[in-house]
Amino acid sequence: MTPAVPGPQVLLTARGLVKEFSVRGQGGAFARKRVLRAVDGVDVELRAGQTLALVGESGSGKSTTARLVARLLEVTSGTVEFQGDDVTRLSGAALHRFRSEVQVVFQDPYSSLNPRHTVERIVTAPLVYQGRSVPGGARAFTRSLMERVGLNPDHSERHPAQFSGGQAQRIGIARALAVGPKVVVCDEAVSALDVSVQAQVINLLRRLQREEGYSYLFIAHDLAVVRQIAHRVAVMHQGRVVETGDRDALFASPAHDYTRALLAAVPRIRPEWEAARRARARTRETADGKRETT
Amino acid sequence: MTAIGKTPPLLEVEELNVTFPTPQGAVDVVRDLGFTLEPGGSLGIVGESGSGKSMTSLAIMGLLPPRATMSGRVRLAGRELSGLTDRQLRRVRGDRIAMVFQDPLSSLNPYYTVGTQIEEAYRAHRQRVTRRQARRVAVEAMERVHIADAARRVDHYPHQFSGGMRQRVMIAMALCTEPDLLIADEPTTALDVTVQAQILRLLTEVRQETGAGLLLITHDLAVVSEMTEEVLVMRAGACVERASAERLFSDPRHPYTRALLDAVPRLDDEVGELRTVHGRGPSPAAGATEGDER
Repeated sequence: MTPAVPGPQVLLTARGLVKEFSVRGQGGAFARKRVLRAVDGVDVELRAGQTLALVGESGSGKSTTARLVARLLEVTSGTVEFQGDDVTRLSGAALHRFRSEVQVVFQDPYSSLNPRHTVERIVTAPLVYQGRSVPGGARAFTRSLMERVGLNPDHSERHPAQFSGGQAQRIGIARALAVGPKVVVCDEAVSALDVSVQAQVINLLRRLQREEGYSYLFIAHDLAVVRQIAHRVAVMHQGRVVETGDRDALFASPAHDYTRALLAAVPRIRPEWEAARRARARTRETADGKRETT
Repeated sequence: MTAIGKTPPLLEVEELNVTFPTPQGAVDVVRDLGFTLEPGGSLGIVGESGSGKSMTSLAIMGLLPPRATMSGRVRLAGRELSGLTDRQLRRVRGDRIAMVFQDPLSSLNPYYTVGTQIEEAYRAHRQRVTRRQARRVAVEAMERVHIADAARRVDHYPHQFSGGMRQRVMIAMALCTEPDLLIADEPTTALDVTVQAQILRLLTEVRQETGAGLLLITHDLAVVSEMTEEVLVMRAGACVERASAERLFSDPRHPYTRALLDAVPRLDDEVGELRTVHGRGPSPAAGATEGDER
């Protein structure tokens, strides 16, 4: 899983993204409107089959950037180039096509899945919405999709509430994959999960990328999670990208003060405790291995 | 460390059981839990969602919802808390025990200034305190948690503070009665990582100054490894392992603890396949279980 240098072709390029929101200033209903610039001149380059992580704290503009790229929000200015088109200007059939190419997985699986619908209805909805037929019929399609994301295909008639948080997030991933996208935007997709479940979903995303070649735009506030999945990392702060780089280089020698502060703030288990634990685990594994071979 | 027999432990929990009635029958959310905390000591209770860690802290404080039933003994400095009336318990809470919760915004009243709320907390536990004395205590408490310009900020409302500053206010409120025990339930979970680092540093600092014991409830293994001398791992309502932080992190003995530590994403790790915890154990909310997926 080493990032390829100089790397595969660029799939999606955003240049000079700006997003302004007008917010009411202090002073109630008569207050003058203020303009808040949530994203302030951001450039993003996503390569085929790779993961670009946008990392930052709350209010850094990382989620807004992701939504601009996925065209869930309209830009104030800037361009998003994907397969020769400027995504910000697409409409009609072209926009529909774009929606099949770029899909989003959200943070909270329960609130982003319709609780009254079955898995089958949820994962086939994007195709139905786009007026496309479901290849091989809804049931067979759902079953194979559920297998790909590690869910039991016999549960296709169940409702979201009958699944655990990690499983519900797999349904969210299945729905994103249903239309056969090239790009999946993961907006804090593993942030709400328990650590053991989070590891499973990260493994799933990595396996899907390995086997099926998706590009991920991975939005996260957790640097340790980013370290597990990203090829390239862009650090955002106050609406701007302060530093971009290959994952290993950025983690090993962060160039920007803010990146350094962010890395320094991450709580960590003492290295000597970690080393001791790993040494013990290795010894156990060798011992187990010997026992099995004899 | 005090000689045994002279000073009783700060906190003793014995055979604690908490049960909730559900339509499917009674669910044990805490099962036969026992531990002691010496004066000035620190214990971290760590577990995933549904492990019973927060129910444990609520049971100690006598803050369980009315429909929960609890058995077992909780002693604070040798004094039995489990048999006390609500009124007696209220005196102990806040006076000798103070609590810091995850979400400071929902624990603070938006209609009163933070100063008023700290003063109220102080006066509720101290007899014959004048308003001026209480106000001085409030300003001092805010200075102690490094809120700049405390004499002015004391008259501000909660919404005028950032998330991290609000958590400082909560800590100021918790400390103003000079408690012997501070219970912090996910105190930094809602905060950005740089703010989390500041709040954790502050908690350590005030403990050193006041000598208060700390019971830290968290899902974050790295946080607990930095904060407490002892660690108790909970799963499905029960303790699976308890040890000094050094022993637990360098030589975990229980398979669940080992799997949990393997699943923690790390900043400085060579990225391999993340280990995952197989099975989540009996979930207290019966139904979905996690972990069979590849």
